[in-house]
Amino acid sequence: MIQGSWKIGGIALLAYVVWTTFTVPLGPGLLELRDRNEAASTDGITKRIETYELIGLGTHWGAGTEDLRVFIRKGQNLAQLPVIDVIDDTHAHIALLLPDTLPSRSWDVLANHPVDGTLFLQNGLFTDAYIIEPTAGLEPPVFDEHAPNLPHHFPFQPRIFETIRNLMLHVPMWFTMFLLMGIGFVASIRQLGQKEASNTVFDQRAEASVQVGMAFGVLGLLTGSLWARYTWGAWWVDDPQLNGALVTVLVYAGYLILRASVEDQRLRARLSAVYNLFAFIILMILLMVLPRFTESLHPGKGGNPGFNSYDLDSSLRAVFYPAVLGWMLLGTWMYRIRLQATQLNQKLQRLNQR
Amino acid sequence: MAQGFSHIRFLFQHALRVELRKKHGIAGLLVFAVASVYTCYQVTGTHAEQESWNALAWVVLLFSAFNAVSKPWDDDRPEIKSFLLHAVSPNHWLIARIAFYVVLLGVVSTVTYAAFLLFLGMDHFTGWTAVHYYLGIVMTSTALATLLAMIQALSTRAGGGFSLTAVLGLPLIIPVILVSTSYGSDLMRGIAFGDTAHHLLFLATLSAGFTALGYILFPYLWRE
Repeated sequence: MIQGSWKIGGIALLAYVVWTTFTVPLGPGLLELRDRNEAASTDGITKRIETYELIGLGTHWGAGTEDLRVFIRKGQNLAQLPVIDVIDDTHAHIALLLPDTLPSRSWDVLANHPVDGTLFLQNGLFTDAYIIEPTAGLEPPVFDEHAPNLPHHFPFQPRIFETIRNLMLHVPMWFTMFLLMGIGFVASIRQLGQKEASNTVFDQRAEASVQVGMAFGVLGLLTGSLWARYTWGAWWVDDPQLNGALVTVLVYAGYLILRASVEDQRLRARLSAVYNLFAFIILMILLMVLPRFTESLHPGKGGNPGFNSYDLDSSLRAVFYPAVLGWMLLGTWMYRIRLQATQLNQKLQRLNQR
Repeated sequence: MAQGFSHIRFLFQHALRVELRKKHGIAGLLVFAVASVYTCYQVTGTHAEQESWNALAWVVLLFSAFNAVSKPWDDDRPEIKSFLLHAVSPNHWLIARIAFYVVLLGVVSTVTYAAFLLFLGMDHFTGWTAVHYYLGIVMTSTALATLLAMIQALSTRAGGGFSLTAVLGLPLIIPVILVSTSYGSDLMRGIAFGDTAHHLLFLATLSAGFTALGYILFPYLWRE
């Protein structure tokens, strides 16, 4: 076992994570079924023909134009819509050829293709100008469903799209910050349990861990803000999870200010240890307890910040878990370097005083 | 145990006496609070919107509370202070201090709330809602008192004074503010008291938690 091999391991993990995060393609998905406003009636009495444009993202309809099949579904009712023509990989014209009496107004749209498999767009179609009879049944179409035949890819999520990659850059920041603040918390407890007041070893550990943890917290805020700009349309929104994160960073900024305002080393060690315990408990309340009581827009939230609700599939997990471990190793490494720098600095000062 | 209670009672009465002895002490706080309410009244008139009413009430309450707690800790003569340091258990001192702040903030927030009802009107309250709102205000000022007693002691020991109390205290009280503002807006939107009372429970839990944490940690601040 080479000494410090965990550092090499961490760097290797992060290299793998950054590479896969930015090179694995996003899977295909349906964006919209758009009304082309060119309603043409063939016989005017029993059937209406309206044409719609089906728009996909990252789909492969150009390969095998004959094989694209489009359906609408509501509960048990399934109806096939004829494809007029496929324009390119991501655009196709669909005819809305339906009986006058339908069981529902709103429909999920499905598209099946030999490359993409079955894609799904929830509530993609709203059929007005039809007679709605909830008991009306539709004749089920006969077809054979194609299984997807895609390379390794990240899952398509509505509205999130390519920004799903941020999962590897944003979430591990907070996990690493939790780890570092946890190190600081333990160090502060041990500092207070110190018999000799002049011993400030644990205080140095707490300081270094909070400094590095703050860096990760700020990075977490920045990556989150960038993501929010693309997904929610604003750099910052009023949301319990976001406010909690910001306040946490402010609380720890208070810790650094407190340290800066006390000259005496022993007193500083004691006071900042006391404050750090408060800070960590507030961190727990803000990021673990309060989000469970309140509604939040944040992914994976909505009353229950459980891990499963991140909608991680195997392709994401294969990158996400290494990302968490890699960033944590890097954070630990940074913490140790910071700690050594503080200790050396202090030694230097003591030598200068002589 | 009985001795502990008598110590706490004595220290509490002592803090109260010191506060009342200063002529400008509590009167200054109340003038600050009422003047803030009056300023709000000048802007909004008697018919403030629901949201403004709620926001202004909590903001004025928060600043009055900070003002009350953030006064420097030097209200004792040094010889009395050094006597206390040796004669009294730090935990008893803290409990007495918290009790004193609870009473002080209770008085200040009650006067603030009364001024709010007087000046900005009580259009948004029906029936018992005003009383329920008052319950929220009392619980909030209790939670603020428990946390700020500790933070104030900390910043005094660090020699930072008012600004350090604000820098350290404001972020830490955000959980309290989040809970109490959502409680207030729930009440004003007409949500039944029973459906929003869990906020009060949460505030009580926070107060208990802050007191327990202070009880454990205060001895480390106390010793020289």
